Amino acid sequence: MNNIRIALREVIPNRLRTTSRNQWPNLTQTRFYARATSFPDYFQNPIFRKEDQAKLIENNELSKLAAIPVKPPAACETSSVYYDPLVNKVINHVMKMGNKQLARSLVEKAFENIKRKQIERYHLASTPEEKAKILLNPKDVLHRAVENCKPLLQLLPIKRGGITYQVPGPITEKRSLFLAVKWLLDASNDKERTVHFPEQFAWELLDAANNTGKVVKRKQDLHRQCEANRAYAHYRWQ
Amino acid sequence: MFTRNLRVFFRRYSQTCTFRTSELSPAQHSENQIGMFYTIDKNLCKQLFGHGGLPKSYMKQTKTFTETTLMVRLPALDIMNCIKNTDFDKPVVRYVLYGEKGSGKSLTMAHLLHYAHEQEFLIVHVPWVSEWLRRVPRHKEMANSPTREGFVDLPLDAAAWLLHFKTQNQTLLKNPDLKISKEYTWSKRESTAEGAPLLELVELGIARVKYACDVIDALVYEIKLLSNNKRCKTFVAIDGFNTFFYPLTRLRTPTKRTVAPEEVSLTTSFLTLTKNDWTNGVVVVTADQLAVPEDHQESYLPKYLLYKKGFEHLDPFVPIEVGRYSEREFLTCASYYRDRLWLRGPSELEDELKFTSACNPYKFMELCAPL
Amino acid sequence: MSLFIRNYKPGSVYNAQIIWRYHSNKVDMAKKEEEEEFRVLDILKTRTRLQKKVARRTDIQPDRSEKMKTDQNWGNVWPGPRSFHPSSVPLPMRQGYVPKGQAPPGKKANAELMKVPNFLHLTPPVIKMQCEAIKKFCTPWPELLNNEEAIEKNYPVEIITSDYCHASPTIRNPLSRIATLRIKLSDLKLDKHARDKFLRLVGDKYNESTDLVTITADRCPIRKQNLDYVNYLLTACYYESWNVEDWEKDKTLEDMEYYDFDQNPSKANLVSWFMRVSKKGDLSDEEIKVFDINNIPHGPEYKKAVSDLFNNSESDQTLQDYDAAVRKLLGLPEKKVAQ
Repeated sequence: MNNIRIALREVIPNRLRTTSRNQWPNLTQTRFYARATSFPDYFQNPIFRKEDQAKLIENNELSKLAAIPVKPPAACETSSVYYDPLVNKVINHVMKMGNKQLARSLVEKAFENIKRKQIERYHLASTPEEKAKILLNPKDVLHRAVENCKPLLQLLPIKRGGITYQVPGPITEKRSLFLAVKWLLDASNDKERTVHFPEQFAWELLDAANNTGKVVKRKQDLHRQCEANRAYAHYRWQ
Repeated sequence: MFTRNLRVFFRRYSQTCTFRTSELSPAQHSENQIGMFYTIDKNLCKQLFGHGGLPKSYMKQTKTFTETTLMVRLPALDIMNCIKNTDFDKPVVRYVLYGEKGSGKSLTMAHLLHYAHEQEFLIVHVPWVSEWLRRVPRHKEMANSPTREGFVDLPLDAAAWLLHFKTQNQTLLKNPDLKISKEYTWSKRESTAEGAPLLELVELGIARVKYACDVIDALVYEIKLLSNNKRCKTFVAIDGFNTFFYPLTRLRTPTKRTVAPEEVSLTTSFLTLTKNDWTNGVVVVTADQLAVPEDHQESYLPKYLLYKKGFEHLDPFVPIEVGRYSEREFLTCASYYRDRLWLRGPSELEDELKFTSACNPYKFMELCAPL
Repeated sequence: MSLFIRNYKPGSVYNAQIIWRYHSNKVDMAKKEEEEEFRVLDILKTRTRLQKKVARRTDIQPDRSEKMKTDQNWGNVWPGPRSFHPSSVPLPMRQGYVPKGQAPPGKKANAELMKVPNFLHLTPPVIKMQCEAIKKFCTPWPELLNNEEAIEKNYPVEIITSDYCHASPTIRNPLSRIATLRIKLSDLKLDKHARDKFLRLVGDKYNESTDLVTITADRCPIRKQNLDYVNYLLTACYYESWNVEDWEKDKTLEDMEYYDFDQNPSKANLVSWFMRVSKKGDLSDEEIKVFDINNIPHGPEYKKAVSDLFNNSESDQTLQDYDAAVRKLLGLPEKKVAQ
């Protein structure tokens, strides 16, 4: 298999590879393939959003891509108006054993719950200022909740002199997103058996969006711990 | 360029077109109001649908929207038009509502109930027949009928229905004209005298649950008689009527024997009510796929759902199809949802939703939920 | 040795041999002069091989195919089916797959030619001759049967058999025993009952769209027997369908092959409805059966709509017709249509 891959690499003209590497990935919504795909690695990620395609056309880059083979987009990657990468990510986190249909229905039900609660609150609110404060769009709630749950620092276990120190350090964007979603799901799975997941998840999201609740507390705990362990910070490089 | 202009025009149209009508009385609704929503008064809603009648998902929706609104649609108008032009001296006309799942049969029925209530019909409304024959909660009260050999009674369900009947017809039942034609003896001590008001019979059924099924039987007989004598007009509405004709119910006697729907005393009472051997009334029933198990859901057409037996029972009936949303209905519905904050986001959303929901009202509502 | 391998080139060994021999000869010559008796050891032993002369038998005749005359009677040479024989066929035949650029092998000892079926016994002159020979047994085609319709009318029963022609030692093919009989159902003289019974007897052998009954038999080893059997089946079914058994009186409404409005409860419903509308007393079952629907306004239309609904399966169209008929019957306004 390796031989074939090497051979294939030689087949591609060098020029093509360099152009694609330099101009592509940062510009567009790309698909992350977690596992090895059956596609050779010179296949490009698909561009499935209409905005991205319009951007390409505007920059006259479409003709460059015309001859390059492209991987097909996944079933969930659509050009629909209500496509949201973060929602997709959360659905994938909820998913177990590849049962995406169920995961999606759960997340959507949670959204429905959020929407109902928020609309009721909206109708209860008396003044227009209060009404304006209420986030009605469940996706906005999710975005804000995840934003509020993202930690800024992380603790790394580092062994020095036979003792493992919890050393605070910076965190990558990707890892902080991962932790935020994971904590949200952990919090909503920690529930009574009689309560359904969508309900609990909706509550957690609403709490987190208000900067309250278990998850935000967990984030703050982590920050406090980092602050306390400030003295160990130099172990990171020593 | 032209198509873009068109699209802009349609968007404007969708935004400006009114989705609400101030005409709150169903009798006044006409073709001009098709696709528009009208609000039902809260107290009236409680009276008519307090004990069932609106689908569960719709009840949830009314809670979120803080109002109960119904869309004026063609099938309901059609039936109202027919009722207006009916000669009430002739035997009752039976209407069968049919349509795909989620196309709004029950809500059309609700609209008609509102109309009937306004026109001072005596309403005999069964919210969902499957509730009796197909839904078996852990403790389903069942008893062998004491009066009729080989029949099964559902006393609790019957009493609940009598309560529903009583609340729906609160005002009408106070009418002193509604009297009983003959004496009913329930036991040695309990009996209802001839000439007693109908309300007494109903209340007896609610208080003495044991006799509820027999009370319903008597009630049906009396209602037919009263209608024949022009004391009252009667509006019979039965949702999920085809359950009566599915060969089996999910009920089981204490001896684990399965029960056929003909053996349930409630079935016989309501089947006699849907015959056309009485006058001065209207019968509206629905044939619903959801009322029967999945093995009999291949088609939504009434003959298939009612079986030959049911077809011959109702024959000749007027089939009324409740279809998907038309273009205009979809637009008003979307703008209503936007008004109620149920639907948000860019206006391209509506095109997409129209395709994904295929203009099916329930699907549309469901698809809007997570947006 | 390693040196040899390094410098090895194809052909070089041969050259080396020659050189080696050349050198050794030179030494020979020198030595001959001194002492003649010394025999040189010929290491490579390059003896010139004597070419064997192939002895040909003189009494073998030339191939038969070469001696054939051009005007011979081919039917005599190859009278019946037979696998290919090169000496009997005076044709320069070649057959077989070979690499590109080569000629296919000739006809002699060529399995390719022998295994394919041939039709050398069926040349046009031979067929013509055989037709001439059997002509005396034939009668002329009837003149009046000059078109398909006439044939169909006078000979409604159509027999289909197949003859097979191939080059195996036997002229019999097992498939040729199969006999098929085809007849239009409308050509059989059947009444209502008999037709229904015939169709039930025949089962799936009847094709509704073409109105053809097709009976096929392959159970007997000979065509004649199959033909007899097919004819027997048709005759038996036909006469059996005319018999009315006692148990046939028990036929209920559910057993009916089509929906008969006059026998179904729908008619009773309609009639009793009409009696109620016209304020007359109820009728007994017998009276309902004999009641003429034409007395009811819009009754026949309603009958047609209901029969269509049952016979032509339920669809949007039939339901619409039913709807319209019922509304007319009940005196209701017509269905509203969305603008």
